[in-house]
Formats: sequence, structure tokens, C-alpha cells
Amino acid sequence: MELGLKAVPWATPLPDDAFRPAAIDVRTIRPDPWLLRAVSVAIGSPAVRVHSFAFPDPVEDEAAGDELPHIRPPAKQSPQIASPAGSTRIRPPGDVIKLKDRLHYLLQPSLESLLTERSLAFPFAPFPFQFEGIAFLYPRHAAILADEMGLGKTMQAITAIRLLLRCGEVGAVLLVCPKPLVTNWQREFGLWAPEVPVMAIEGEQTRRAWQWQLPDAPVRIANYELLCRDRELLERIDATGRPVVEFDLVVLDESQRIKNRAGTTSQVARAISRRRSWALTGTPVENSSEDLVGIFEFLAPGFLSPEMKPRRMGRTVSDYVLRRTKEQVLTDLPPKLIHDAPLDLTPQQRESYRLAEGEGVLRLTELGTSAAIQHVFELVLRLKQICNFDPATGESAKLERLRADLEEVAESGRKAIVFSQWVETLRRLAGHLRHLGPLEYHGKIPSGQRDAIIRRFREDATKHVILMSYGAGGVGLNLQFANYVFLFDRWWNPAVEDQAINRAHRIGVAGPVTVTRFLMLGTIEERIDRILEEKRELFDVIFSGTQAGGKLGLTQQELFGLFQLKCPSGPIDVAA
Amino acid sequence: MSSKMGETGSHIGGNEPKSIAGLGFLTVLEHPEHGLFGGYLLLNPAGRPLEFHCTAPIRPNRAQEILYGPTLQSFLYGDQIGRTLLEKSKIEPLFICTDKQPVLAVREHISQPVALVLPSDNDGVDPADKTLRIDAAHPGGLPPGGPRLKTFQLGRNHLAVLERSAEDQRAISERFTRLADSFAEPFDLAEPFTRIREAIEEAQQGVLK
Repeated sequence: MELGLKAVPWATPLPDDAFRPAAIDVRTIRPDPWLLRAVSVAIGSPAVRVHSFAFPDPVEDEAAGDELPHIRPPAKQSPQIASPAGSTRIRPPGDVIKLKDRLHYLLQPSLESLLTERSLAFPFAPFPFQFEGIAFLYPRHAAILADEMGLGKTMQAITAIRLLLRCGEVGAVLLVCPKPLVTNWQREFGLWAPEVPVMAIEGEQTRRAWQWQLPDAPVRIANYELLCRDRELLERIDATGRPVVEFDLVVLDESQRIKNRAGTTSQVARAISRRRSWALTGTPVENSSEDLVGIFEFLAPGFLSPEMKPRRMGRTVSDYVLRRTKEQVLTDLPPKLIHDAPLDLTPQQRESYRLAEGEGVLRLTELGTSAAIQHVFELVLRLKQICNFDPATGESAKLERLRADLEEVAESGRKAIVFSQWVETLRRLAGHLRHLGPLEYHGKIPSGQRDAIIRRFREDATKHVILMSYGAGGVGLNLQFANYVFLFDRWWNPAVEDQAINRAHRIGVAGPVTVTRFLMLGTIEERIDRILEEKRELFDVIFSGTQAGGKLGLTQQELFGLFQLKCPSGPIDVAA
Repeated sequence: MSSKMGETGSHIGGNEPKSIAGLGFLTVLEHPEHGLFGGYLLLNPAGRPLEFHCTAPIRPNRAQEILYGPTLQSFLYGDQIGRTLLEKSKIEPLFICTDKQPVLAVREHISQPVALVLPSDNDGVDPADKTLRIDAAHPGGLPPGGPRLKTFQLGRNHLAVLERSAEDQRAISERFTRLADSFAEPFDLAEPFTRIREAIEEAQQGVLK
């Protein structure tokens, strides 16, 4: 087949040399020895910088503590006694600056190990949050344990004190509390720190002076009133310039008692010579943020100022204050059921109320600018009393409701606490409720009889009701066997009410606690209730870091405003 | 500090040793930004701190990385950091624990027994003494690679020593048992490393401040 392609000759790229026979040219090159060079690479091991810290030998250090003659080493723990488990770390407080000191805390074994090491066992196994509380207090020279009532502040403080005593870090502790709570503290020390001798300062002045100056008393308990009576001794300086009375640690229980910086109690507490200062309170702020300033004047004078905004104040004190609520830590605690009972005044009460309010407001109006806070208060108290009982006939809508409720409580075999701010009201209630055999616990009951009354309420199955004043029964009592709380009238601030409620709603309570708050419709009680809610918001701003707004306390405008009256402006400090 | 494995009577610190029974805990922390931090904590039998030493952060240089190759980690953990820290101590420990296997390399330089504390979830797998090859995964949780180890149980603790220092097991067991009465509670040899880590972080912040 002829394709008709045209052949084109191509030149190959091979040179002609490629077709020559192969020839290998071998050359030998002798290396010049002078050309060899050793290349040295320095690996280098630069010196490692080390920071070293040595700590005192705790064995040598604590030998002295163990030999303190006044503290009996605890008996070898029996199997019935709870040994702490867990690993709660003790962390250095923010005001510990030196790195070595901070490391000393961080490198310690867990709190539970420290307790076990010293055979410091417990009658009951503490909750983990209680170990956290002890670990919070233990290293601090200034601290507020502000747990909600019923979470065991007493036990946490006692254990921290116990550990400090056993470690030899403190030797003389003063605990100051309201008078009715002295025996309670003695009892709690006996329970949680049985090896620690505790002395209540009491008796005649000479005896007290001797007790104050005893060198070998690890724990002394005094009440606030007594502190004021012995002020001269507590502030006395000896010839060498040393205070006659001094402590390693002073603990103020219910420390809201010193919130008023100008008050004598606050002045005397601040004057006591001490190295460490702790405050225990479920209500570090009752009315205004100034309450907290007052407590800090005892802990760290000048640390807070009244001008601080609540949120800034909250941030400033965060390392010094430990505050937990039951909702946060006791998720297994039976609920607290708040139940408002709005009631109508009886016709006779309504008439008395209308007359009293009309007359009172007229008088305030007539007084005009000379109307003072006490005039308003007199009227408020008068109206609240009418809400309780009609002054003319003795009628009481609250009583009728209370009577029915308490009869039901008694029939079911339960126990109830009834709170009022007036002893007179409690006495009247006692008369009306005679068929229920109520017990009474208030300021008119001698303090020597009070423990027996509480014991009877707890142990006597026929006693279903105890009538208490907010003042006498509001703090420090453990009444977790009661399932019902009635607030016959309302207190001025929610914190005091909460304290009262938490006598029953606390660790150990077997079932839900029902709280009934009586509220007379269309009266001063309803208006005060709104203000109490606003005060709760203030607390949240400082201790919860919330953005909630809230009034800084009861202002004159608000108080006068209860009666739609105008008055001079400015904050007042009356709602104690 | 130049004593070799097997030698006795020499102490690890350059200073005169104190006659205090102490347990040493040595570890290394890897920080992604700063490098390696070493920490050495000496505890008394009650678990209370007697000494703490920590290093400034170190990083291997390029030459070290190339030339030490796979042995770099042992060099850094055991020699550079471990040995340096131990030399600073004034108290001779009864034995030294670590939670980082490369730290075991420090054993080449000291006379005290050294044990690797294995994770607690390793407990109970096989408490009997045994020898394992480290070139494969084991249920006991030993890290792969590295030297051959001998594992054993001591109280609640699961430990391992270098197989070439197998006599450490007996020494550690004897010394630990001798101290048993001093222990407030069953001694958890893994727990102190938590303290060291927190202390190193604190020291780091403190130094930075």
C-alpha cells in the first residue's frame, strides 16, 4: 500500500564522539591531611536554676504542742467514732504574701490527714463542705464564716480551733457569744473537742478578773454583755506595755452584734489584744452594707469603707468570707416550705386599725418637718400590735388560724415553734393555747431555766408547741425536731426571720419544715413585707455577685412612705 | 553527688544529711509555653513537708535534641532535672518516688532506691510480683517504651522499679514497712505529686510576680 508519505531525514543529537570506543580515565587523589577539620558542636548543659524551701520539722515543732499540760491528748479512737475521709486541701489565704509561706500551706497533706494524724475523730462524720469550712478558717488570721444558719458553723469553728490548738499554733482562744448560747457552746465543745478544756467566764468581778488572766486556759467563753462590763480590764496595759489580757484567737459568734461601729460592744471587741480574729454569722448584712463594714472593723480595721459600692465590697471581701447556703451544699436536706398566710382583720380589728392609723398619720402630718423617725416607729409598732390582737376586744384573726393549725400539729404528734417579737404577745398566746400546754422561751424566762425548757420540748412527747421571741430563740438553738414554724408577726429584716426559721430547718431535720408567715391584708404588715424582699436583694448583690439591684436599706422615705408621707431624705439606721 | 547504683552510705545532697526519716517525691511538669519544671518534695512519714525544691523552666536546645535522640527525655528528666534537685536536698530520703518514668534515669546517679508510682487504677490487676516487657501495651497501664521494669504492690500503692535495680524493690518494701507505724493512715504514694504540681504552679506565679 502506498501511503504517499514524504520521508524527511532527521539529525540525531548524538555527537560523533558517542560512537567512539569507551575510555576510562582513572585518577588517584591523595587527601591532604591538613584539610581535615573536626567540627565540635557544644551540646551544653546550662546550670538548672533551683528554688529551695525548707520547712520546720513538724515533729520537733509539735512535740511542744503535745506536751501542753492543759490539753489531754484524745484517746485512741474507737471504731464507733467517725474517721474523716476525703482530701480537702488547705489553701493559703490571699493575704499570705511570702512564697515560702504560701507553699507551706500548699504542701501540707489534706485536712483529713492532719486530723487523722492527731487522732482527732468526730462523733459524726462531717459533710465535705464542713471540711472546706475548717480548711478555710484554719490558715486565716481574719475570716468570716457566714454559712446560712443550720450548716454547722459551730462545729466548723470548734474543729478549726481544735486543730490549731493541737498544732500549737494557738494557745489561748476567746469565744464571745450571746448570753443564752454560752451553755450551747460548752455542750458543743464537749461533743466535738472533748479533750479541750473550756471555761465559761462568769461570776463576780474578782472571779472574772482571775478567769480572764488565767495563763493555762485554752478556750474561754464570754458573753457580749460581760465583755462590756469587763472593758477596763480588757483594755488595761501593764507596766511593760503589754495588755493584761491577750489571746491568740478571738471568735465572735453572732458577730452582727458588733455591726454598729460606734457601739460599746464593738469598741470593746476591737480593743481585745489578739493575733487572729474570726467572726461567725449567718447574717453578715442585716440592713445595709455598713453592717459588714462594722464586722470588718474587728477583723481588719480600715479594710472596708462605708462608701464602697456593694458589688465592689463583695469582691474585696471575697477571700475573707465563706458563705454557703443549704441549697448549694445540702441537696439532700428536706425542703423548707414557705407558706404565706394572708388573713383579713376581724371587723373589730379593722376598726381599731383604721382609727389608730388615721390618728397616727394625722399626728405625723401635724408634726410636719419636726416628725422624727421614732414617731413613725411608734405608729408602726402600734399598728402591728393591732394586727396581732385587737386592743379593745382581744380578737385576733391570726390567733384563730394559729389555734387551728397548732391543734392539727399536736394531733399529728409533730412539734411547732411560734415566733413573735413581743413577749406580751407570746404571753397572750400562751393563755389562749393553754389546752395545748405550750412552752415559753423568751426574755422573761430566766436564763438558768432555758436549757431545761429546750430539753423538755425535745424529749417530752406531750409538748408540741414552744412560743419563742425572735430575740431569745432566734440564734444558736438546734430545734431540728420541729417540723413547723409559725411567724406570728414579722421582724424588721429577713435575716432575723431566716435565723428563726433555721432553728428547725437545719442539719438533722427528719422531714420538710413548713413555715407559715402570717400577713394581714391591707395593713402595715403587707407593706413591710415588700421592703423585706428588697433587703434580700441587697444580700444577693454582696454575696452572690448577682446583678440584682436593691435598695441599701430602709430609708426615711420608705419608712414615711408606709403612710404615704414625705419626710427629710437620708439613710437611717433603725431597722435593727 | 556521684555515687553509683549499688553504692551505699553516700547521701544525695551536697550538704551534711540530717537523720530524719523522709520520703522523696520527684516529678517533672511539662508546660507548653515555658518548658519543663522539676519539683522535689521531701515529706516526713506523717506526710508533712520538710523540704521543697523546684527548678526554673528548662528547654532542650537543638543540639541536645539531635544528639541525645531518643534518650533526650531520660537525660532531661533524670540527669538534668532530677539529679540537680536531689543535690539540693539536705535530708537523705529513705527512697524516692516518681510518677514520670523517664525520671527513673536518676537512679544511675544516686544510691537511694527509686520507684515509679503507677496509676491507682492499676491496683488489683495483678498484685503479684512480675516482670513485663515494656514494648507492648499491658493492662497494668505501664507506659510503652523505655527500660524494663519490675512491678510490685506496696500497701495500697502499685510501684515499679528498674529491672536492672531490682534490689530496690526489697529496700523500698523494707523501709516502707518499717515506717508503717508512723503513718497516720495508709500512705498514698501518688498523692504528694498533686501537691508538687500545685506548688510548682504557685512558685511559677510567685517568681513571675
